[in-house]
Amino acid sequence: MGRLKSVWVYHVDAGSCNGCDIEVLDVLSPYYDIERLGVKVVPTPRHADVLFITGPLTRQTRIALKKAYEAMPPKPRIVVAIGTCASSGGIFYNSYALYNTSPQRGRDRLRSGGPEMIVPIDMYIPGCPPSPEEILYGVAQLLGIKEKKMKGEYWIALPPGEKSGKENEIEFTIPDRPIPVRYWLTLREELRRVVGYYDRDAVLNDFIELVGKAFESDDPRERLHDLVTGYFLKEKDSRVKVAMRFLENEFWRLVDEYREWGEALKRKYPVTAGV
Amino acid sequence: MAEAPSHSEKLKSWDRMKVEGFSKKAPVTTPYPFTDIEKPPEFRGIPHINPEKCIGCGACVQACPPDALIMEWDKEHGVKRLTYNAARCIRCARCIEVCPTGAMEPTTRFEIATDNKEDLVEVVEHKLAYCEECGEYLDFTERQIEYVRNILPKEIFDAYALEDRIKLTQEEKMRRTVVKLRELESNVYPAFMLVEKGKEKKGGEE
Repeated sequence: MGRLKSVWVYHVDAGSCNGCDIEVLDVLSPYYDIERLGVKVVPTPRHADVLFITGPLTRQTRIALKKAYEAMPPKPRIVVAIGTCASSGGIFYNSYALYNTSPQRGRDRLRSGGPEMIVPIDMYIPGCPPSPEEILYGVAQLLGIKEKKMKGEYWIALPPGEKSGKENEIEFTIPDRPIPVRYWLTLREELRRVVGYYDRDAVLNDFIELVGKAFESDDPRERLHDLVTGYFLKEKDSRVKVAMRFLENEFWRLVDEYREWGEALKRKYPVTAGV
Repeated sequence: MAEAPSHSEKLKSWDRMKVEGFSKKAPVTTPYPFTDIEKPPEFRGIPHINPEKCIGCGACVQACPPDALIMEWDKEHGVKRLTYNAARCIRCARCIEVCPTGAMEPTTRFEIATDNKEDLVEVVEHKLAYCEECGEYLDFTERQIEYVRNILPKEIFDAYALEDRIKLTQEEKMRRTVVKLRELESNVYPAFMLVEKGKEKKGGEE
């Protein structure tokens, strides 16, 4: 690695909620220690090579940001946008309080908004807030230590039945599961009340595996109960335990309910001629 | 025989000391920008659209608070594009929660800083279904219709004769209903339709 050059940084708050500001403080702490890369926070933009901007650029901060940018020495004049708000306006992008002159009010494909309305930006670090590693990665990329990893993607989702010819054309697949899609969807929605989105899929996958095993035997109700109990004894996480019990009860309730609905449908329309 | 670790064990196995690769004696400064590291499995990185499973229903577009996901309509060419931009994304994971096919996948990707915003854009282009009766595109994609066929059991499709109507636009469906009712005016009503009509008349103007 060649010799690094020191960058002196001036930090501007363009109306941020202070989440990103605290993360900038974090990267200056001994654990992440951005100062070993030669970064130093200076008290005036006249000494700075790099401008750290946080916040979505409110009307009040527009003049201040412009003044800070013009006060910097003209040569490197690098601008780093830290946080989702500074990259694109964030959740405030269509607020009345923001300065956003993009023609589509931030709804174009690049989601323009934020400080890029008045100053050119050299590095976007999105995140709400970005974790200290993300900021370290952005600064390291500016200094040439790390390389860019993101790449824009354009997929063409083919309709079912068509074969793909090109690289970005993707065929449609519905994953093979031991239970019908209808049961899977309902169980997934019900499970949201018990565990969050993150554990939900893992727990449900374990459960439908057990259901697939249970339906191989003669008495699936008994067999599933045994399997779930076995899982219950082995698992240490009590949330997963509760979720498995909940899923077992919910599954048999659904089986009964759907059978009743099917019968009611047949009673209502004995001859299926169409309505 | 080594069994695969369960979900909760996988979550606990992440160790910062091991991942960042420094000695346990002096864990003061992370060697990060000079090494490669991984985030813990529950870290909320940017989500990723899996184009194999995506049906283009737009549930994620409805749920997204900052409009990082937007549906671009192009009815003339019969396509709609689901566009995702990580520069607007706040990692709330609402899209992952509402996705009916599991196409929105959580990742632990954190190295996303870039100098060009086009690197953050992800687009999935869907083909709309075509109504041959009136020569217009539907609001639904062909994948959505295929998914509905997989969800609903066969009996419901038969009872409501959905197979004939599933690829029609709303106007065409209404037109067909009117034609059918006019035909029925001159005919003898089936038993179940007489009951329905009687109920309506009691509450109506007659």
